[in-house]
Amino acid sequence: MRNRVFLLAVLSVLLRMAGAQYTTALPGYHYEFPRDHFNHPDFQTEWWYYTGNLSAADGHRFGFELTFFRQAIDRDRAKSSAWDIHDLYLAHLALSDLDGGQFYHAERTNRSGPGMAGISAIQKKIWNGNWQVQWQGDDLILKAYDDRFSFSLQLHPSKPPVIHGLDGVSQKAPGRGHASHYISLTRLQTTGTVRVGEKNNQVTGIAWMDHEFFTHQLEPGQVGWDWLSLQLNDNTELMLFRIRRKDGSIDPFSAGTYIDGVDHSVHLQASDFSLTPLGETWMSPITSARYPVRWRVEIPILGFSLELSTPVKSQEFSGHSKFAPSYWEGAIAIEGRRGPNVIKGVGYLEMTGYDHPMEIAP
Amino acid sequence: MLRLKLFYRLMVRPLFREPVRLALTVLAVAFGVAVVLAIDLAGNAAAGSFHSSMETLAGDNDLEVVASGGVPESVVATLATYPSPLQISPRIEDFAVLVNSQQTLPLIGVDLIAEASRYAALQSSTESATRSPEPGADSLNHLTDPQSVWVSSSLNMHAGDQLALLINDRVYDCSIRGVYPDSSGGESAILMDIAGAQRILDRFGRVDRILIKLPPGADIDAAQRELKKVLPPGVEIRPQGTGTEENRKMLAAFRWNLRLLSYIALVVGAFLIYNTISVSVVRRRTEIGIVRAVGASRTDVLCAFLGEAACLGIAGAFLGLPLGRIMASGAVKLMALTVESLYVSSRPGSIALTPLSVFWALLIGVGVSVISALSPAREAMNVSPADAMAQGRREYIAGTHMRRDLLIASLLEVLGVIAAQAPAIGGKPLLGYLATILIIAASAYAMPALVSFLSWATSGLLNRLVGIEALLAARSLTAALRRTSVLVAALATAVAMMVSVGIMVGSFRQTVVSWMNTQLPADLYLRPAGDPAADRHPTISLDLTERIARLPGVAAVDRLRAYEISYDGMPATMASIDLRVLHSYRSSDFFSARPTEEVLGQLRGQNNVIVSEPFTYKHNVKAGDSLALSLGETQANFKIIDVYYDYASERGYILMDRDTMLRYLPDPAPSNLAVFVTQGASVQDVRNSIQAIAAGHRILIFSDRDLRTEAIRIFDRTFAITYALEAVAVLVAVMGIAGALVALVIDRRRELGLMRFLGASSSQIHKLILVEAGLLGFLANLAGLVLGYFLSLILVFVINKQSFGWTIRFHWPVAVILGALSFVYVATILSGLYPARVAARLNPLGVIHEE
Repeated sequence: MRNRVFLLAVLSVLLRMAGAQYTTALPGYHYEFPRDHFNHPDFQTEWWYYTGNLSAADGHRFGFELTFFRQAIDRDRAKSSAWDIHDLYLAHLALSDLDGGQFYHAERTNRSGPGMAGISAIQKKIWNGNWQVQWQGDDLILKAYDDRFSFSLQLHPSKPPVIHGLDGVSQKAPGRGHASHYISLTRLQTTGTVRVGEKNNQVTGIAWMDHEFFTHQLEPGQVGWDWLSLQLNDNTELMLFRIRRKDGSIDPFSAGTYIDGVDHSVHLQASDFSLTPLGETWMSPITSARYPVRWRVEIPILGFSLELSTPVKSQEFSGHSKFAPSYWEGAIAIEGRRGPNVIKGVGYLEMTGYDHPMEIAP
Repeated sequence: MLRLKLFYRLMVRPLFREPVRLALTVLAVAFGVAVVLAIDLAGNAAAGSFHSSMETLAGDNDLEVVASGGVPESVVATLATYPSPLQISPRIEDFAVLVNSQQTLPLIGVDLIAEASRYAALQSSTESATRSPEPGADSLNHLTDPQSVWVSSSLNMHAGDQLALLINDRVYDCSIRGVYPDSSGGESAILMDIAGAQRILDRFGRVDRILIKLPPGADIDAAQRELKKVLPPGVEIRPQGTGTEENRKMLAAFRWNLRLLSYIALVVGAFLIYNTISVSVVRRRTEIGIVRAVGASRTDVLCAFLGEAACLGIAGAFLGLPLGRIMASGAVKLMALTVESLYVSSRPGSIALTPLSVFWALLIGVGVSVISALSPAREAMNVSPADAMAQGRREYIAGTHMRRDLLIASLLEVLGVIAAQAPAIGGKPLLGYLATILIIAASAYAMPALVSFLSWATSGLLNRLVGIEALLAARSLTAALRRTSVLVAALATAVAMMVSVGIMVGSFRQTVVSWMNTQLPADLYLRPAGDPAADRHPTISLDLTERIARLPGVAAVDRLRAYEISYDGMPATMASIDLRVLHSYRSSDFFSARPTEEVLGQLRGQNNVIVSEPFTYKHNVKAGDSLALSLGETQANFKIIDVYYDYASERGYILMDRDTMLRYLPDPAPSNLAVFVTQGASVQDVRNSIQAIAAGHRILIFSDRDLRTEAIRIFDRTFAITYALEAVAVLVAVMGIAGALVALVIDRRRELGLMRFLGASSSQIHKLILVEAGLLGFLANLAGLVLGYFLSLILVFVINKQSFGWTIRFHWPVAVILGALSFVYVATILSGLYPARVAARLNPLGVIHEE
C-alpha cells in the first residue's frame, strides 16, 4: 500500500482517463515468478518499491528508498512516434544518512520514449533513466545516481515472494476490483556501496521489496494512510497499513501481513492490530505538515507490542512537481516485546495525507 | 585663464563668424561618427551578439550532442541510462511561420514530461489553466498531440487560442495549450512536446540536439571524453553553444568588412577637418605672427589649432551620437536581412547604446579630428613671426613640394600593389585593406599635381566653352592648390568608394546573373512557403513530390535535400541531388572544366562529393582531398572530386548523390524540387496542375525567370546596407564641398570685391563660384573614378576572394556608375549655390573699404 497511488491517480485524471480498457485486480489471480516480478501492462497502475536499512563497516547507518511507478496513459498502439506516451514512469530516490541526520531525495518522470524508462522481462530490468534494478539470477542489483549521492547494491532474497491479502488480492475498498495484486520480498540481504558526497561506504543490511499492480483500487473518502514494513531480529516480518478516512475514522479495509520464520504468511485484518501515534510530531518546514514520528504497534493475536521511532525526523519527500503530493517516508528503528521476549528490528514507515487531505477522483 | 581667453579670441570666435561653414564641418564629423557608431551598434545587434534563435529555452547546459541530419533517438536512451548524474534534454529544433504575421519562429520540441519539474513553461501553463474555467488537465491531456503548442508570452496569445502555423509545406491549425514567460529578452518560440513535434514535422527516429547538464563542479572536458566513448562515431559531443560560436565566427568576417566600410565615411570626414584647419591656419597667419611676436610659444600655437580641431571633433561626436543611434535602427534591419539570407536564422537583438560605444564614438570623433589637424597645426607652429606678413609664400611651398608628393604617391602606390598580392591573415584580408588605405593615401599625395595639371589642361577649353569666368575659376583653384587638392581628395575618396563598391557589387551581380542562366535549366522550381534563409531547409511532403512526378507533362523531377551541418568548426550545408535527372545540372561550371556528365558520373552511388567554391576557401581544401563527414550515427570519408562555382550561399556547400545520402540519412523528403516539363507541353499548364494537386500544401512555385528575379531581389536586399553607407559618405563629401566653397568665398572677399569694382556683374561672380564648384566636382569625379577602379580591383580580387571566396568576373556597371557620378556632380554644383549667392551679394564698396 503506497502513497503513490494517489499521485498516480491525480496523474491519470490529468492524462487520458481510460480505465475501462484495463484489467482490475480480482481474486484467484494465478501468480507465477519471475513473470510477475515484471510488467503488467493490462493494469493501469504498477509500482516497485525498494527500501532498506544499511550500515557501513564503521557502524554509520543509512536508509535508502528507490521506487519505480508505471501509470498507463494510453493503449493506442497505432501511433508512430517513439515518444508517444503509453505509460508514464515515475521514480523516487532517497537516501537517509541516519547518523549524519541528513535526508536526500530526488524524483523523475519519464515516458518510455526511445528507452529512457521501462520494464523488461527479457532483460530482467526495471529502470527509469540511470536508476535501475537488474535481476541477476535470484539477486537484484540496484543502481541509482544523484549528484549528491549514489548507490550500488546487491539484494539477495532469503525468503520467497509473499502475496498479500486473501486469494491473491489486497482489498482496499468495498466492491469488486477495488483491490491490488500485492507481492513483497520481505527479507533481502543487502551488500554494496553507498556514496555520499565524495565518501564511499561499503555497506551491509536488510532491504524490502514491494510490487503492486491494479486499476483504480481506492475510493473517495479515503484521505491518507500510514504504512509500515517491519523486519524483526527473530527472522519475522510485518507489513501493516491503516487507511484514514475523511471523518477521522480508520477504514475497515486497513490490513497487514505477518511472515514467520519459515516462510509462512498470515493475513491480518484491521481488527487484528492497532497502529497508534504516540504524540511526538515533526513539522515540515516546507509543507507545514505535522507528522507523528513515534508510534506504537499492538498485535495481540501474535503477542507483539512494539514502539517505533526514527533516527532522522526530517524524512519528508516534498515533491517539486505539480502532481506529486508530499509524504513522509523513512527508516525507523523498532524496539519492543513479543510475548515475554525482547525484540528489535528495523523497517520503513510511510505517512501520507498530512499536508492536506488527498483527493481521489472517482 | 588668459590662455583660454586667447584661445577663445583667436580660435573659437572666428569660427562663429562663419556659422554655415562651421555647421557643415561639424556635421561632416557628426556623419562620420554617426555612421561608424550606427554600423557598430547595428552590427552588434544583428550579428555581434548573435544568439541562435535555437538557444531559446535551451537553458544553461554544459554539453550538447549533435549529428548531421539528427541524432538517433537511441542515443537519448544511452545518455539517460548512463551511470553518472546527468541531466539530459533532447530537443527537436526546426522553424514554423506564423501564418498571420509571416513571422518565422523557432519550433522547439522538448520532452515535456521529463522536464515538467524543470520547465517553468509547463508549470505556469498548468497554473494558469487551473485558474481558468478549463481544467488544468487539458494542457497535459493533449500533450503529445501534433497540434498542441505552447507559446511565449511576448506573442500576446492565450491558452485556448488557435494559431495557424506553416510547418514545412503545410499549414496546421494549432491549439495554444499554455503560455510560458519570455525569459531571454523577448525571444519567442513555439514549444511542443517531442512526440507532437516529430509528428508535425514528419520526422521520426531522430532528435536534433541533446543538451547535457553536469552536476555542479564536474570536469566538463573529462565528461565530454567519457561520454564520447558511448556515442556512435558520427555523433558529436561538444560544449553547449558551439553552434552559436561557429555562427558568430562566420558572422565576424561579414561584420568586419561592414565596419571597415563605415570607416570610409570617417576618412572623408577627416579630409574635411584637415581642410578646415588648413583654412584656419592660412587665414590666421597674421594673427599667428602677432601672438608669436608677443611671446606665445610654438607649442601654444600647436595646441590652439589642435584645440580647435578637438572642439570640432567633440561637437561633431556629440551630434553624431543621437544621429548614429537613429541610423542604427535603420541599419539593423538591413543587416538582419543580410544575415538571414546569407548566413543564419537569427533575430536581431535590441540596440544597446553602451557607455563603451559612446566613449568609442567620442574618441573616434575627437581622435580623427585631432589627427587630421596635426599636419596643418604643425605648419602653424612653424610659422615664424617674421614670415607671417609675407602673403602668398604658403602656396609657393605647396607648389615646390609637388614633386616630392608625387614621389611619395608612387611609393605608396607600389606598396599598395605589393600588399594586394599578399594572402589573407587569419582568414581576414588585412593586407588587402592595407592596400586600399595605401592607394587612397597615394591618391591624396598625387592630388595637387593632378589638380594643377587638369586645371591647366582644361582652362583653355573651359574658357572657350563657358567663358572668362571659367578661366578665372580654374586659375583660382590652382592658386589655392593645397586647399583645392584636399577638397578634391575628400570628394574623390567618397566617389572612389562609391565607384569601387558599385563595381564590386555590379560585377558580383552580373556574375550571379550569368551563373544563374547556366544553373537554372529546369522549367519550374518548388520550395515550401516561408521566408528563405541560408540555414533553414524545410521539406516538401514526399507524397506530393511523387504525385507531381506522375503528372502529365512532367518529364522529370529533381529532388534536392539539404541539411545544416557543422564541418571543421564552421557551419556548412550538406545537400544531395538526384543524379537520375542528369540534365538538371548539365551546365554546372567546375574548376576542372570537365564536362558535367563526367563529374556527376563519378558522384553516382559513390562516397564522392563536389564542394562549392566558398567551401574550399573556408576549409582550405581542394579537389582530391578527403572529407570526414558525420551523417546520422555514422562517420564516413568522402572524396572531393571537383569544386564548382556557386554564388547561392556564402556558407559553403557539400553536394552528393541522393542515393548516397539516403544510405546514411534515410529521410526521403526533399527540400527543393526542380520540375522539367516534357518537350511540347505547356509550362503554364503543368504549373496549374501542380498548384491543383498541392492545394493542401503551402509551396512556392517559381519559373526559372521568377527564380532569377527572386535571387536578384535577395541579392539587392543583401547589399542595401553598402549602398546606404556609400550614400552617407557622398553626402558628407558634398557637404564638405559646400563648406569649403563658403570658406573660399569669404577668403576671397577682397579679390571678388575687386572684380566687382572692376566691373564684373554679380551674375558673373555667381557663375564664377558655380564653375569652381563644377570644376571641383569634375576633378573629384575623375579622380574618384580612377581611384575607384583600382580600389574595385582590390575589392573584387583580393578582399572579396579572401573574405568570402567567390570568383567574381569583373564587370563595369556603366549605368549605375554614370548615374552615381552625375548625381555627385549635380550635388556638387548645387552645393555651390549658396556660396555663389553669398559671393554675388558682396558689396564691392564695403569690401574695398575694409582694406
